[in-house]
Amino acid sequence: MSPPSASAPDPQPGLPVGVESTLDFRGSRRLVGWEEWFWYLVAAVSYILLGIWHKWLLNWFVGPAWLVAFVVVGPWLTDRIGLTSRRGDR
Amino acid sequence: MSWAAHQFEIYAVQSHLPKKMRGKVSFWAIFLGDFTPDFLSKFWVYGFTINGTRYGSDVPHQWHRGFPGMGFTHTLFFGAVLALLAWTWRKNRAFTIGFLLGYAAHALTDINDSVGVMLLFPLLTMNFTAQTWAYAATIDGGKYLDAAAYYSSLGLAMDVFWLLVVLFSWRVLTREHWRTQIVPADARIWAWLGRWLPERGLLALYRATFFYGLCRMISWSAWARLFADPEKYGEFDVTSRGFPMDLSWTGPYWLDARSLGHVSPWIAYPAALTVLAVLYAVIARLWEPMGRRQAEHRAERAVATGSRGSSGNSGRSGDPGPSGDSDVSAQA
Repeated sequence: MSPPSASAPDPQPGLPVGVESTLDFRGSRRLVGWEEWFWYLVAAVSYILLGIWHKWLLNWFVGPAWLVAFVVVGPWLTDRIGLTSRRGDR
Repeated sequence: MSWAAHQFEIYAVQSHLPKKMRGKVSFWAIFLGDFTPDFLSKFWVYGFTINGTRYGSDVPHQWHRGFPGMGFTHTLFFGAVLALLAWTWRKNRAFTIGFLLGYAAHALTDINDSVGVMLLFPLLTMNFTAQTWAYAATIDGGKYLDAAAYYSSLGLAMDVFWLLVVLFSWRVLTREHWRTQIVPADARIWAWLGRWLPERGLLALYRATFFYGLCRMISWSAWARLFADPEKYGEFDVTSRGFPMDLSWTGPYWLDARSLGHVSPWIAYPAALTVLAVLYAVIARLWEPMGRRQAEHRAERAVATGSRGSSGNSGRSGDPGPSGDSDVSAQA
């Protein structure tokens, strides 16, 4: 597996031009559509609400880490418990 | 000072680059440039307390923006000096230009509060301020009063303005933009991060500054308006829970705006816009020569590395620059 390239991605073998795999360079699932919105929204609402009463959370480190943690770990968890497909539609 | 505006303007700068610079200016350098002025000065503005002893500035606004003080960190001059040092070190155009643009965005945005910045430092140590809202960092009120004042004044309008600028340029937040414009300019950094994070994590990391800005804007605003107890932060002409909103110029009314010696507020915006125009003209003028110099530097380094390798030395090769040396189209 190679890290993200310095240019636009090459289409996966077997896929029509312009259609990307749902798996990324690590074999992890890409988030698209409602699922992507869902995880960003969950991260935002939880961070905003907790931030109102716990101001120490509102800083440069926790904020970005919060989002990345939700977006990376959330789908992984739902895959593990079978709510979503871990393979994607390759 | 500005709050979430500093997060949003990173994306605003990125989305409004001149055509010839698109995909060739480092996003992380813009981020770092925008982050650096407060990173260098703000820790001492609010101060901190250990075992009952407060450590911090006695006059926060003088320390933050004045001279003497750390006000020079909020000047284009100092940003240019740092950018020049970075250029001298790595000859990396993507990083140098990005850093300078980010630094300028921060310094110019901060002319809006009642203290302002020394726009023409070191030629002039007077501050330029439009006095749009009150600078409110104080020893007693700390970060909380500062936030309450900012989000009860036109400071909130400034955050919303920058948010709208980004939202009108919403493509800057898309995966397509990230892959085609952001990754190429910082390929080494993204490749390095990609050793630990999947693509969805990398994309979230790119969007994270926007996320953080949006969330802190909502969170602090909600706290200031609905939940804060003003009596905890001093004596104010406020009777209800939550700080009152006041969108008048140099508001909010319930706080004494801090200030330093400054030029007429009427010339703050014209001066800032002129400086911005000059900066863009200089950067546009330097873009191609810097690209040629970068290409020459890499060629020289490749030759040096090759000769070292052929003579049996084990010197480092391909040492990555501060923002990745992957701008293969650096030639003019």
